[in-house]
Amino acid sequence: MADAVAKAAPPLPTSKDDINGTWNYLEWGVDRIMVNLSYGLDLKTYMTLYTSIHNFCTAQKAVGAQTNLNSSQRGAHLLGEDLYRRLNDYLKRHLTGVHTEMVKHVDEALLTFYIKEWKRYTTAGTYNNHLFRYLNRHWVKREMDEGKKDIYDIYTLHLVRWKEDMFGSTQNAVMDAVLRLVEKQRNGETIEQSKIKSVVDSFVSLGIDEQDSTKTTLDVYRKHFEEPFLEATKVYYEKESAEFLAVNSVVDYMKKAERRLDEEKERVPLYLLQEIMTPLMKTCEAALIAKHANVLRDEFQILLDNDREEDMARMYKLLARIPEGLDPLRAKFEAHVRSCGLLAVEKAAQASEAIDPKNYVDALLEVNTQYSALVQNAFGGESEFVRSLDNACREYVNRNKVCQKNSAKSPELLSKHADNVLKRSQKSSEEDDMEKLLNQVMTIFKYIEDKDVFQKFYSKMLAKRLVNGTSASGDAETSMISKLKDASGFEYTNKLQRMFQDMQTSKDLNKAYEEHLSKGFSSDDGIGTSFQILGAGFWPLQPPNTTFAPPALLVKQYERFTHFYADKHGGRKLTWLWNLCKGEIRANYIKNAKVPYTFQVSTYQMAILLLFNDSDTASYDDIASTTMLAKETLDPSLAIMLKAKVLTASPEGKTEPGTTYSLNYNFKAKKLKVNLNIAIKSEQKQEAEDTHKTIEEDRKMLMQSAIVRIMKSRKTMKHTQLVSETIQQIKSRFSPKVSDIKKCIDILLEKEYLERLEGDELGYLA
Amino acid sequence: MSSEGEQTVKLVSSDNVEIVTERKVAERSMLIKNMIEDLGAPGEEPIPIMNVSENVLKKVLEWCAQHKNDPAPTQDDDADSRKKTTDIEEWDQKFMQVDQEMLFEIILAANYMDIKALLDVGCKTVANMIKGKSPEEIRKTFNIQNDFTPEEEDQIRRENEWAEDR
Repeated sequence: MADAVAKAAPPLPTSKDDINGTWNYLEWGVDRIMVNLSYGLDLKTYMTLYTSIHNFCTAQKAVGAQTNLNSSQRGAHLLGEDLYRRLNDYLKRHLTGVHTEMVKHVDEALLTFYIKEWKRYTTAGTYNNHLFRYLNRHWVKREMDEGKKDIYDIYTLHLVRWKEDMFGSTQNAVMDAVLRLVEKQRNGETIEQSKIKSVVDSFVSLGIDEQDSTKTTLDVYRKHFEEPFLEATKVYYEKESAEFLAVNSVVDYMKKAERRLDEEKERVPLYLLQEIMTPLMKTCEAALIAKHANVLRDEFQILLDNDREEDMARMYKLLARIPEGLDPLRAKFEAHVRSCGLLAVEKAAQASEAIDPKNYVDALLEVNTQYSALVQNAFGGESEFVRSLDNACREYVNRNKVCQKNSAKSPELLSKHADNVLKRSQKSSEEDDMEKLLNQVMTIFKYIEDKDVFQKFYSKMLAKRLVNGTSASGDAETSMISKLKDASGFEYTNKLQRMFQDMQTSKDLNKAYEEHLSKGFSSDDGIGTSFQILGAGFWPLQPPNTTFAPPALLVKQYERFTHFYADKHGGRKLTWLWNLCKGEIRANYIKNAKVPYTFQVSTYQMAILLLFNDSDTASYDDIASTTMLAKETLDPSLAIMLKAKVLTASPEGKTEPGTTYSLNYNFKAKKLKVNLNIAIKSEQKQEAEDTHKTIEEDRKMLMQSAIVRIMKSRKTMKHTQLVSETIQQIKSRFSPKVSDIKKCIDILLEKEYLERLEGDELGYLA
Repeated sequence: MSSEGEQTVKLVSSDNVEIVTERKVAERSMLIKNMIEDLGAPGEEPIPIMNVSENVLKKVLEWCAQHKNDPAPTQDDDADSRKKTTDIEEWDQKFMQVDQEMLFEIILAANYMDIKALLDVGCKTVANMIKGKSPEEIRKTFNIQNDFTPEEEDQIRRENEWAEDR
């Protein structure tokens, strides 16, 4: 629309206050700037334009300057309104022309035109704003100070005119063109991104705050750009995703969705406003993920079944972006882990009738390890997934096929496994290995509900390891106890630690005793002794369940020690646990041995063998009467020696009254040390059962003491409240049954620790 | 190429005298600063300062040179206390010790060339000339004819009685 040749300048205004002359000149200048700026503008013209505005505004013969005094209330009269109005009219006319041209274009051509005209118009606006600065500084400023909302500084006036005379009737078409361009880009075509950027900038510039025209808002941009842009995005992706899913797999769809989300994110800095990031992402997430969330989740089970870690990670990342997207996933995950755990236990249980502790623990661990790795790798170690995993593990660890009959089976097996790990064995494991195995034990321990059962079994087996000196490593033992302490507190491991102390004290005591002996208070009789003094309260040891008459040789020894100990610690009572004692005997009688064999025996066996010092044969009844051992202990003790051919029986192999035993002078063994002190199977089983029984008793005590503690502090309390409080207090040890707690309350009522009050209340009786 | 600070511009006064000055000095005038922003550095092309004569323009440029390193005035510092006081810094006070005609020419030129700080200094100087003077003294200072009738004068005095300094 530019004229081919610039119009020649009209004459300069003849007098300062000649509005027509001034405007005539100004309009030529403004038009030149607006339309033909490319021809350049010389300094002189620029200065002349500025000066003519200045001169007009400062013309002394201002109308009304000499009217009456009241006019002075407004202060000096400022000129300029005429110029402002005429410029406004000029802009209107100009834009009408532009508009007529603009509607002839469509699509990209329209965009090009819009941007060209916008740039030209706003550049002119900047020039005019400077040329009309004198007007801005005085007349416009005064009008605005007086609160006129429809007067703007000259640049803003340009924007206002564009917004009102151009924008309203063209922005829909412009926006359509923009959206078509974006769609092209989304379809993989290359587009001129700068065009969109220009449109965005233009829309942003038009956001003039209606309350204060010197400020800008994003309202125009939001309404006319952001809204349609988001809507188009939604439509595009809803359509695309539905079509894609109809013919492709869910896994492929997830890859595509991931790619699309990245693309949209990258689009923002290229030509959009940063402000759109959040709503744009929300829109894309809604269309690409939320709309298909159920389809995605249905796929999850399949991915789980096939260990598709990478795809699960993808799904996790996608669903994590939408609100409540992951909850159903977690539920599925939890159920899956639980059933895997149950299956693993079932498999392990099928292998043998009495399940091997190691196999059992390995089965539990395997599932836990596999899925905690999945949580880390695919789900970013997210805490909610960790919790789901923990819930599932707790379920299958405490309630599986092996525990069906007895829920305390899990802790029992775990503690046995720990015992096997910590016991000295042929293939002594490396220190690192040991630590790893212990950590595995702790992993499962974390899930065990009946921690009291574990404690019971563990302390029993620890006691044995200590008494028998079968621990593989003291460091490993200490490390395990500190792990348990970390997990369950000081009280939980208190007794275990006391056991270690006793071991140390015993060592010191033995040293002192040796010194005592070496001072020659008694004659050496060729018997070496060592004693362990174990506090009855801390050690889970049971007194022998048989009578026993120790051989005279030993009696002398232990009486001597008893005196020594009584001197040191008056008032303490020593109970001798013969069933735990052992010794070594050298067999000097065997003919074919260059070096005499040494037998490792229990004290009971020692008592039996010592009988043969006096004669080569002994009858069953003699042995029984001399040692005073009960049949249940005597028989297996003999049986082992018969089996090892230390003794021979006639009739052969019998352990019953009427049998005669003789010393085997032709004894042969591969090793010089022969261990005859082998634990008796039936005894072990019996022990486990006993342990379970004591646990029941202990639990009752634990519940009762918890109840009393609570009531002592509360004085009165409702029955149901007391029950739930009690559960709270002891659930870290085991999960009590409500009926058991009620029984305990009844017991306490009977014992008159508590009393029934009005209603459901219970009271504490001091 | 010389940096912006060392560039010079050629100004032409209304009586056609060319004055060369540092671009930085000339840009104390918003008029010149905006013009250069729009049209680019003028180089050898002279900039006509149509409403200012040589002697006044020189005086104005002297002030601009003195203040060329002042921080640019912030947008709309109307609230600035500077405006409320009539204190003038020492150099400016000496600078403004000129005859009245020159003083008014400087004020007009500052207004035309859009040099806000100089305009302020000029107006403050005038204000200080009025401060503490009676109407008669003011008339004498500025050589103003009393064109009020005695009645009008009476009316004004009554209306403004409250402001009288007693």
